[in-house]
This record gives sequence, C-alpha cells and structure tokens, in this order.
Amino acid sequence: MDVPILKQGDVLIASIQAALSDQDLIALRDSLASRIGRFRSRGVIIDLMALDVLDSFATRMIRDIAYTARLRGAITVVVGIQPEVAFAMVQLGLSLEGIATALDLEEGLAHLSGRERKRAARS
Amino acid sequence: MVDLNEQTPAQLLMRDMGLTERDIARRRHIVGLEERDLTRIASLNELMASHVDEYTTAFFDYLTGLDEGRLALQNTAIAHRARQLKRGHLLAMVQTDYDVDYVAQRLELAMLYSRAGLELRVFLAAFHRLLKVIGDGIMSRFEANPSEGFETFMSLKKVAFFDIGVIVDAIVFERERVIRQQQDAIRELSTPVLQIRERLLLLPIVGVIDTHRARMITESLLRSIRASRAKVVVMDITGVATIDSRVANHLIQTVTAARLMGASVIVTGLSAEVAQSLVALGIDLTKLNTIGDLQGGLEEAERLLGQRLVTVEERGRSSASVEA
Amino acid sequence: MPREVSVPIERELDIVAARQAGRELASALGFSTTDQTLLATAISEVARNIVNYAGSGNVLVARVDDESGRIGIVVIASDRGPGIADVDQAMRDGYSTGNSLGVGLPGARRLVDDFHLASAPGQGTTVTLKKWLR
Repeated sequence: MDVPILKQGDVLIASIQAALSDQDLIALRDSLASRIGRFRSRGVIIDLMALDVLDSFATRMIRDIAYTARLRGAITVVVGIQPEVAFAMVQLGLSLEGIATALDLEEGLAHLSGRERKRAARS
Repeated sequence: MVDLNEQTPAQLLMRDMGLTERDIARRRHIVGLEERDLTRIASLNELMASHVDEYTTAFFDYLTGLDEGRLALQNTAIAHRARQLKRGHLLAMVQTDYDVDYVAQRLELAMLYSRAGLELRVFLAAFHRLLKVIGDGIMSRFEANPSEGFETFMSLKKVAFFDIGVIVDAIVFERERVIRQQQDAIRELSTPVLQIRERLLLLPIVGVIDTHRARMITESLLRSIRASRAKVVVMDITGVATIDSRVANHLIQTVTAARLMGASVIVTGLSAEVAQSLVALGIDLTKLNTIGDLQGGLEEAERLLGQRLVTVEERGRSSASVEA
Repeated sequence: MPREVSVPIERELDIVAARQAGRELASALGFSTTDQTLLATAISEVARNIVNYAGSGNVLVARVDDESGRIGIVVIASDRGPGIADVDQAMRDGYSTGNSLGVGLPGARRLVDDFHLASAPGQGTTVTLKKWLR
C-alpha cells in the first residue's frame, strides 16, 4: 500500500492509515529520503493517528525512517499516538527515545516551526 | 433469523455470558434431559394450555405475598411485563424445544428481575411454589397411573432446573457487571488529573502504588493529555507511600508513555534520599526530569510552556493557584 | 459471535487479520479498549515471529472460562518452524538485538496475564497467552 506524502512548506507529512508491511515501510523510508533531498525538506511528520497497534517491528521501522531522515538533514516528529497505543508500547518496553513526538499534526508542525524560529534567532 | 447488527438486550447478554448453542446443549446434558423426558413432557401440553393462567397467578401471588417480592414488583409496568413473560415461559416449558430462543426468553425475564432488584431467595421460593402447583396438577391428571405421573413430573423438573440455572447465572452475571463498573468509577475518582492551565496538567499521586493502580493512573493521564492537549505534566509524588524500584519503574513507564503523546513530564516531590536509593538499586533516573518541590515544578512547567515566570506574590492572586 | 477464531499465518497481512480477530473477540467479551489494544499488540508480536522465523503457522483466539468463573481470552500462536534453541535467552529482554529469534516475547509476556512458551529445535513453537477480564 502506498503511503501518500504531502508537502507543506519545507515539511513532509506522511499519514499512515493502516498497518504497513515490511515492504511498505521500506518503500516509505526510501520515498521520504528521496523527497527530502529533492525538496530540501527540514522536517518530516509521521502521523500514526489511524494505527490501533504499534508493535516492536513497526517501532523499529519508524526509528529507521527517522534515522534515515536525519542523515538527509531533516528532523522527524512522530505524532498521533493514541493513549491505548502509547500504553501498550511502554508495557512492551518500546520507546521512541531520541525521536521528537507531538500530540497531533498541528502540534507536530508547531514543534517544527518552533525549532525553525529558535534556529533563525540564533543565526 | 437474527440480524447481527440489531441484537436484543437478551441476545447481547447471552453473548456476553457465552451462552452459545454448545453451552446450552451442555446445560441440557447437565440436567440430564433425555429423549424419554421430552416424550413425557410433551404429554403435558394440554394440561399446561388449560392451566397456564392459574399457574402464572400462583407464582406471582406467592411472590407478592412476600414483602421483598411485593417491593420488587411494585412498578406495575414491570409486574405486567413479568407476568406476560412468565406465562409465555410456562407454555414454552412443555414445547420440548430448549434451544437458543428458549434461553433468550428466560434471559429477558432474568434481566427484568435483575432490574427490579428481585432477590434470588425470593425468586427460588416462588419457583418452588409454582412447581408444587404444577406437580399437583400433574398428579391429579395421572391419578390412574401415579408412577407415570411422578416420572413425568420429574422430567419436567429437569427443565425447571435448566431454567433456574440460566436465570440465576444471568442475575449473578449482571450483578458482577455492576460491581465491575462501580470499581472502575472508584478508580477514576482516586486518580484525578487536574488541568491547572492551558496545556498544563497536574497529577498528584497519593498513597500506595501497585501495578494495577499505576496502570489506572497512566491510562487516566494519557486520556487527559489527549483531551486537554497538554504539553506539560507535573507529576507530584510527595504523597506516595513507598517508592521502591517497582514503583519507580511504573513512574518511568508513565513518563515514557506521556512522552509518546508529545507531553513532557516534570516529576516533583522526589526526595534526595529516595533518589539516591533508587540510583543505588540501578534505576536510571536520567530519563526523568525531576524538580525538588511542587512550586519549582510548576515554575519549570511554565518555563517550558514559554510563559513568563510568575512570582510568589502574583501567584497568590492568580485564579489557577495551587497549594504547594 | 463465535467462541473461537482460527487465523492461518502465512504472510504479513495475516498478522493484521489475527490481531483484528483478537480485538473483536476481546471487545465482544467486554474487555476495555486498553486491554483490547494490549491483546492486539501481543498477538502482533507473536504472529510476526511466525512470519519472520517460521514462515507459516496459526493463531487461534478463543474465549476461556476458568473454575472460579473468570472470563478470559486465550491466544495460541503455533508454528512448525525451526524452534527456539534457548528459550531462557529468548525470554530475556533484548530489544537492541534486532534480529534475534523471539525478540518480541518478553514484551508480549508483559501485555498479558498468563504466558506459556513451548519450543524446541526442529519441533516448532507454541506460545500461549491468556488475558482475564477484570
């Protein structure tokens, strides 16, 4: 299944609608990597609001995507993790340590633009 | 034909109780219902048809003759419906078709009794009275052949006990469901999450934290984070009875889960001594953002939220003041 | 509502089917949404192990009742794969070891109430999970 990737300024947004397979996630990762390069995106938002389960496999893949994005110079923000899913994840012993998280798409975008403002203020 | 999208309450209860065809067949087996029982019972059709109102009345007269019974059935609508259902039951009792629909009928009446608060001992006593009256009817019908009459009555009693089994199980199930709901409500009350300003939640944890309570607290917090779109949570553990490594791990899990939802957690009330002993036990506290006291925690929270620092004097005047 | 559902696991799509079956049965029995998610996540872990390490297997989800009247759900994930050589090691936490066999098992255990693992090299693996209604 193809995950649609939207572009909003220098942010790419990938909304995951249903459980993705191995291949789907790898395709997503590569797709994001190439777009980050093409559009010089600074941020990537992975929206997990539609997922009802996030297991160790999916979590690993998301870390993979965030890592790849960072190699290309973009920050990843994972958004939309639901209460029950967050709870199950910590029970399982999973965390997205090192990856920024936000409540939803709106917050994710705010997080990224906040970073941009700080970065601009510093330079 | 059952429309799966529109199940009656009795059907839903049946599903919740696991009363499947297999379970019902098992119940028939448990009371020992056999072919020859069915043959005998079938011979009671005429007797039942001509006496059903008399038997129904006998049951309800006994019931309402007792204070507890009268109280339970004082609502005339319920009493009327119960009578209707009971009458139908008695007729169905001798139809020898003890399947899913038969059980659903009985559950409907059981739910009615449950709602009316009819006590089981009262129900059983009235049921016994009913059996006596029916028994008398059977024996007088079989006057010429009393042993056959007795056997027929015993066969019918198997069905009676099948019925009692279903009704009692249903009433108990409903009672337990209510208790579970009440327990959930109590748990909700004991883990309050307070919104003290926009995007900021305060979670004061008091008392003993076991695995179950930790879970309730985490679930409650996560839902609140979503509902109030909180970005910062101040979790105050001053009032936690004992903080051992188990409790510490629960707290760390809560913090991690909140983080997954984009909220950062400031832990206040962790004394230096407790922190030291936890570190000695190998607990990694670096994951936690700890501040000594609640006041400091709230100031840090406001800093994180980008709000200006509020001094102590001003805090006294603000509407969202919190006891330190 | 059936009392049990059997889901053959051959490819990734089946993992989703298995967790949906688990979630539906859990919901029908009255489990909270949180417990439904815990169960679905545990099923996801064990079913993925089947896909990744055994190639094919089966996930059975069924209602259980115990003697004291508790209602619960049992998940039996079985396969005829290579089996786990060192069960103790598999049950030790080790998420950093990304590709080791059974990496999701210690975690899956934390999501449920009762956990049983039977496995031997060449004899396949059966993981039995139970969750009870509170």
